[in-house]
Amino acid sequence: MKAWSYLGALLLALAGVVAAPAGEIKTYAAHGLVQGIADDRRAVTIHHDAIPGYMMGMTMEFPVKDTNDLAGIAAGDEINFTLAVSETDSWVQNVRLLAHHVSEVTSNTFVFHSDSVELHPGDLLPDGTLRSESGGTLRFSDFHGQAVAFTFFFTRCPLPDYCMRMNRNFAAARQILLSDTHAPTNWQFLSISFDPEFDQPEVLASYAQLYRGEESRHWLFAAVFRDTLRDLAPRLDLMVVHQGDAISHNLRTVVIDPRGRITSQFDGNAWTPEQLADALRQAAQTTHP
Amino acid sequence: MSNAAESRQSSEERLFLSIAVVAVLILGLGYLGLMLALNHREKAPGVPGPTDEAVALTPDHARQLVDFSLTDRTGRTVTRADLAGQFLVVDFLFTSCSLTCPVVNRHMAQIQQLTTNQPDVKLLSLTVDPRDDTTAVLAQYGLKFAADTNRWWLLTGDKSVLYHLIGTSFLNADLDDPFTYMPGNFSHTERIALVDGRGNVRAYFDGLSENVAAAVVTQIGRLRQ
Repeated sequence: MKAWSYLGALLLALAGVVAAPAGEIKTYAAHGLVQGIADDRRAVTIHHDAIPGYMMGMTMEFPVKDTNDLAGIAAGDEINFTLAVSETDSWVQNVRLLAHHVSEVTSNTFVFHSDSVELHPGDLLPDGTLRSESGGTLRFSDFHGQAVAFTFFFTRCPLPDYCMRMNRNFAAARQILLSDTHAPTNWQFLSISFDPEFDQPEVLASYAQLYRGEESRHWLFAAVFRDTLRDLAPRLDLMVVHQGDAISHNLRTVVIDPRGRITSQFDGNAWTPEQLADALRQAAQTTHP
Repeated sequence: MSNAAESRQSSEERLFLSIAVVAVLILGLGYLGLMLALNHREKAPGVPGPTDEAVALTPDHARQLVDFSLTDRTGRTVTRADLAGQFLVVDFLFTSCSLTCPVVNRHMAQIQQLTTNQPDVKLLSLTVDPRDDTTAVLAQYGLKFAADTNRWWLLTGDKSVLYHLIGTSFLNADLDDPFTYMPGNFSHTERIALVDGRGNVRAYFDGLSENVAAAVVTQIGRLRQ
């Protein structure tokens, strides 16, 4: 903020030299939010829009020559004003109130660097803990040496094209790999519920049977622990919104190689079991230098 | 039985009948009154019933539309400058959201309809899930709600740009529950925001409220005065 003020003052000085010949006063119409007023009311800090032909939008303090200009104006107000610039001076005048106390004044800029938050192919998946369908604790690192495809779902999901399609696709992809005699054997499917309270081990186990049959080879069901979901959701761009018994969510399916590096990600529900089986085959055969 | 006795008996009968009718009337009215009172009490205090107006909430601190450049579902680039001088009715969505988003967008469709003769009112839907919500996906979604391509923009684009816009201009990022989570931690994504022609966020509404459309239109009318 200080730096901006200095830069602003410098710009003003430059502009004064360039724009205003001796004695001439230039005026610019401007608009902004009052951030604060000096105790002696001889200066006002304004978060203003770009002033066309003069300066870009910023927050800075301006002198006020006639304190009557600020009569009735307070921090939080939205104003139109005139910025006057002479050869040696600049000040705010002709302040018109547009709206009183539009809101509390804070400077809040929300920054989200999705590139530094989200994981991409090549990135190592951080380890996390899950409660398995048999009641024990599972970790991603337990599958070291195997390629793993995992996705998220919940057993009460009523939508055939969402969670149910994920598990149907897993079933089909698993079948492809099981019946391919040339396929590698170090691969695993993992269906992860983000509804651990309802999806207790016995619920998961009986739900698993619907898709997997009795044979649990290469496919486990589990429920995520709170801290693991907290850690993973932002990295995988996963959205989970619990509302009563229902959950709004998006779909994220991830494949990691035997060392836990992400090799591919399938967003949404438009991918096929063949694509997933291929991704898992490739990931299983990944060799690291 | 004599005639006199007969007539005395029938007048007694008439009196009894009248009393009975009045008694039934009083009981009936009383019952009706009680039912009305009970019905009224069934509404919990503070919970707006279906006939109450959706309340316009004031932003908790100064929020202005920041500069942005995003893409609408037709592939058009939309910037803040394109929206200057217009009222903006803004909501937040992800197309795979099956619970709140369809309700909020149904209300957006009502607002679109209620403001057809107010060309300076535009609608803006910002996705919080740009990885899934491509322009093609948003185009499909817009069809569901009969969104007018000239008045209702469904915007997607770079996630950092979207989140900077949503987090700075509209929503707090203060959710702290991994089981109710979206990247950015935005809370109150079910809200509809109203921006005036100078880019100030002037009010928020509960987008799930049945009468939010009327409330938004009323508020726009007030701001015009």
